[in-house]
Amino acid sequence: MRADGWLPEWARGLPWLPILVLLAVGVCALAGETIMPFDPNELDLGAAFVPPPWQEGGKTAYLLGADNLGRDILSRIMAGSRVSVIVAFYAILFSGSIGALIGMVAGYFGGPVDAVLMRLIEIQQSVPSIALALILAAALEPGLWTVVVVIVLTYWAWYARIIRGEIMALKGRDYIAFARVAGVSTPVIFLRHLLPNIFNTLVVLATLQVGQVILFEASLSFLGLGIQQPDISWGLMLSDARQYITNAWWAITMPGLAIMLTCLSANVFGDWLRDRLDPQLRQL
Amino acid sequence: MKTWITALTLASLAALPTAAPAQAPAQTPATGTLSIGFGAEAVMMDPSRSAAGVDQYFFGQMIEQLTRTDPKLETINWLAESWTLTQDGGKPVITVKLRPGVKFHTGDPMTAEDFEFAYERQRDPKISKWPHLLAAVEKFEVVDSLTFRVHFKEGDGSFTSGNLILWALPKRHLQKVGDEEFARAPVGTGPWKFVSRTIKDELRLTAFDDYWNKEHRPTVKNLVVKIIPEDLTRVAAFKTGAIDWIDAVPPAMVEEFRKMPGVKTGSFVAPNNMYIAMDAVDKTSKFHDVRVRQALAHAIDVDAIISKVLFGQGERYVQVGRGSLGFDADLKPYPYDPRKARDLLRQAGYPNGFEVPCYNLTTPREPYQKEVGEAYFAYATAVGIRCRVQGQEYGTWITFGRRDRQGHIDGLYSNMWGHGLPGDPGTPWAGHVHSYVRGEGWGITSVHDDPELNAMIRELKRTMDLDQRADLIKKIARLKQERVAGGLPTYRPVVTLAWRDKVTFTPWPSPGFWRGMQEIGLKQ
Amino acid sequence: MWRFLTRRAWQGAISILGASIIIFLISRLSGDPILILLPNDASQSLIEETRRTYGLDRPLWVQYGIWAQKALAGDFGRSYRWEMPALRLILERLPATIELAVFGLLFSVAIAVPVGVLSAVHRGGWIDRVGRVFAMLGQAMPTFWVGLLLILVFAIHLNWLPAFGHGTPAHVVLPAIALGWYPVAAQTRIVRSAMLDVLDSDHVRLSRALGTPERLIVWKYALRNAAVPLLTMLGVYFAAMLGGAFVVETIFAWPGVGRTVVEAVFSRDFPVVQAGVLFTSILFVLSNLLVDLSYGLVDPRIRDAR
Repeated sequence: MRADGWLPEWARGLPWLPILVLLAVGVCALAGETIMPFDPNELDLGAAFVPPPWQEGGKTAYLLGADNLGRDILSRIMAGSRVSVIVAFYAILFSGSIGALIGMVAGYFGGPVDAVLMRLIEIQQSVPSIALALILAAALEPGLWTVVVVIVLTYWAWYARIIRGEIMALKGRDYIAFARVAGVSTPVIFLRHLLPNIFNTLVVLATLQVGQVILFEASLSFLGLGIQQPDISWGLMLSDARQYITNAWWAITMPGLAIMLTCLSANVFGDWLRDRLDPQLRQL
Repeated sequence: MKTWITALTLASLAALPTAAPAQAPAQTPATGTLSIGFGAEAVMMDPSRSAAGVDQYFFGQMIEQLTRTDPKLETINWLAESWTLTQDGGKPVITVKLRPGVKFHTGDPMTAEDFEFAYERQRDPKISKWPHLLAAVEKFEVVDSLTFRVHFKEGDGSFTSGNLILWALPKRHLQKVGDEEFARAPVGTGPWKFVSRTIKDELRLTAFDDYWNKEHRPTVKNLVVKIIPEDLTRVAAFKTGAIDWIDAVPPAMVEEFRKMPGVKTGSFVAPNNMYIAMDAVDKTSKFHDVRVRQALAHAIDVDAIISKVLFGQGERYVQVGRGSLGFDADLKPYPYDPRKARDLLRQAGYPNGFEVPCYNLTTPREPYQKEVGEAYFAYATAVGIRCRVQGQEYGTWITFGRRDRQGHIDGLYSNMWGHGLPGDPGTPWAGHVHSYVRGEGWGITSVHDDPELNAMIRELKRTMDLDQRADLIKKIARLKQERVAGGLPTYRPVVTLAWRDKVTFTPWPSPGFWRGMQEIGLKQ
Repeated sequence: MWRFLTRRAWQGAISILGASIIIFLISRLSGDPILILLPNDASQSLIEETRRTYGLDRPLWVQYGIWAQKALAGDFGRSYRWEMPALRLILERLPATIELAVFGLLFSVAIAVPVGVLSAVHRGGWIDRVGRVFAMLGQAMPTFWVGLLLILVFAIHLNWLPAFGHGTPAHVVLPAIALGWYPVAAQTRIVRSAMLDVLDSDHVRLSRALGTPERLIVWKYALRNAAVPLLTMLGVYFAAMLGGAFVVETIFAWPGVGRTVVEAVFSRDFPVVQAGVLFTSILFVLSNLLVDLSYGLVDPRIRDAR
């Protein structure tokens, strides 16, 4: 008898811990202000560099310590979750939609259309994404929406390639051929016949991308061309803390742990989802 | 017989030891290499073509000026033996007598023609980025090989307060090797000779044996300047002994360095003056009202910022820093008084405060610049000037500050002005206190418009007599302070240098902003 | 085979060309390098004069044409900041980046192979679990954070290794670890699943039945076959290293192309950005070409289908 035998079929083997972490992040993002112990942007020069309570000099009020300007790190981490969620949501939504559309068009129509689109995909993939992101961010003036745009422009190709492959495999199926013969218009074929079949793949890709997006945004913010103040991002917190690496190890460690836990949870959850929905993507 | 005796007398006179000079001249040892570390490096090593102060870190070791600031922050004659300011029919004339016996690294003697050549180069817009500094000069006259006269159309204070602007460039050598080669391997009259340079890595110099100043010169033969921009790397290199002298100890580690055994430190004010700009020109700007500007002045606890955010590595200044021309010890800063700030806001018609964007430079031109900006704006928010902080990286920030690019600053803007060591505020005030006049060069970064101040600044520009300048600067500073005109001054960054006990080092402020290796050596 | 190669080479060239156009356009939009170069109070006329000298007043497509024409002849312009040829600036630093990427790859392979093999051999056991968790952790940590932690622990606290710069072999250890950390997860997974496939195969069962020692089977035969998918993907990973180098070089003050390009973006030093991205793209495309080549060698169906 399995321990979770009492659960419905779909819920068995659910990775509970990752889901809890992701829910926590979501809650912080949506309702953070109500549960934060401090205002994340409130300065208190008197509390600068207060270490976490278990270290000498620490105060229980600052559960994870305070940064160089006396701001509570726990509150800032909670506030940073909002940025992560917003960026992940919109970036994945747009890059997924655009990428899927382009992939579908390329895979379905084939021929010269496919050739052009494939060239575009290759061009985009011949530049290291961070280089492209940096230059784009400098051109568009750094900020939250610029980060979203940059991620969309960097990741659409990944979706497009995979979806294209799927569509090419689907194209040969009989019912698609029947639909074409029957004169069904292309948009309808896309919506009614193709989309439902790649939906699972899209969902899995999206979940797998969450981790990547979070890491990418963190890197961009770390380099200084991502999220700007007063918005708070975990990557930006790490960047700020870098010059105090010898004074405040907690300022370097805590935001990084937040990134790691969120990413890990997203990846584990994504893996589980993939195993259930679309195991062929295993080689990703 | 007579000739025989004369010859003997002369010979014996020649054999007598020569009278010892008042001070034993420092001897350059035949060997010895000292490795030092800078946090930044020059971009251009040709003084005529230089645009950034950091360039002096390099060429300042090799090329010299007519006057110089000494370690006591006093201006002394350097390559100029003497100079005078006279009037000729109402127009100023500066007559310079050069020191005899000064040689360039190539062996050529320094003459007035070299300065004429430097003058031509520095006013040529194809070569120089600062031709406007010599715009007031009518004629350069070479009187003889060691004397020249500079005839002015009208007074220009930046000349006398800027070490007479000109650098000693080797005319014959430069014309022979060309601009490119000279910028690659500069030649001057300075204590150090160029050996080699690898960009982003190091600069190698060797002591100039025929250097003219026998009293103040390096006492080690070779100098290796390593360029290590990352703070922790530089500190690590110092701690492991790879270098024995570093500049810019990170403020967070100054305490640690002061306690380090076998290490000496020195803290000096850097020639940058930080301030907060606010638009007082536009009638719709909240800061048009002087009371709002004064409210901001009372709202920010600069001392706390210096102590907590900068780890004490900052010096409060009121309008003109200590040691600069026109420093007024009697002028006091606005005291930190948030209650008074709120009162002033109420009087100005903002009982509940108001919201403004606040622009913060995020690229650290000075240490912790971003954090300081955040602190400023947090204090402002606390009294009711609610800041919507917006970070700007350097490229964006610098465009934003220029009136010919950005019409109007709708909030607070973190800014800075700098002008040499010890520094004279004349030219910077012309840039950010005088109102913006299109096409004329006045007020290119200004958001203020006060006719009385404008007139005084114009007069300051024409004033060449240093005492008169000092008086006028004090008058302007007082008005500036009362009216909080041209921004709210906050602090001047302090830079801490560190060197091992075995290194002898006397800090010269300029050229090179304390990185001048005029007197450095290894203890024997 | 030749047709395949030439076709891919052509595609690669077009990709690089397209990339250079895109980078050119975007970087020109990113701001004004002149303002950053000149002193604060430079007059309008000086700004315009300098702009003319740098050729930045011509229409964009003209500027690109000039750049491309010169680039084909090997002249990538002069860095605005350093007054030296951009090409020299980049080429001098390219070897350091390649060195870092190679060592990063070596590190990741050195971890991924043993962990993957052991995971497969002891499938389901604790080694497998630990290995999988370890691999997953790697994929969840931002590269720059790994770098910072490595510096904090090994350079600052323990003082075992130098944190920054370039020179001795010890200098490359921490940066290589930081760089190679992320791909370890993916590579471990590949090795593990490839090993599992091979270990289940009939050939192996037969060898076992014939009494060949397990150790030989695992480490000689199975590994050789499992290495194939890993090797074919090496090009992809090398390319990924090049991307990751941008951040790692910045943290560790590694004198490579990545760091130079990052700095150049900030100071709007267009020639250096162009040249740097171009050469990184070339390396990128070459690595991908290598992958296709090895795939093509391994599986003829793929090369004919493309």
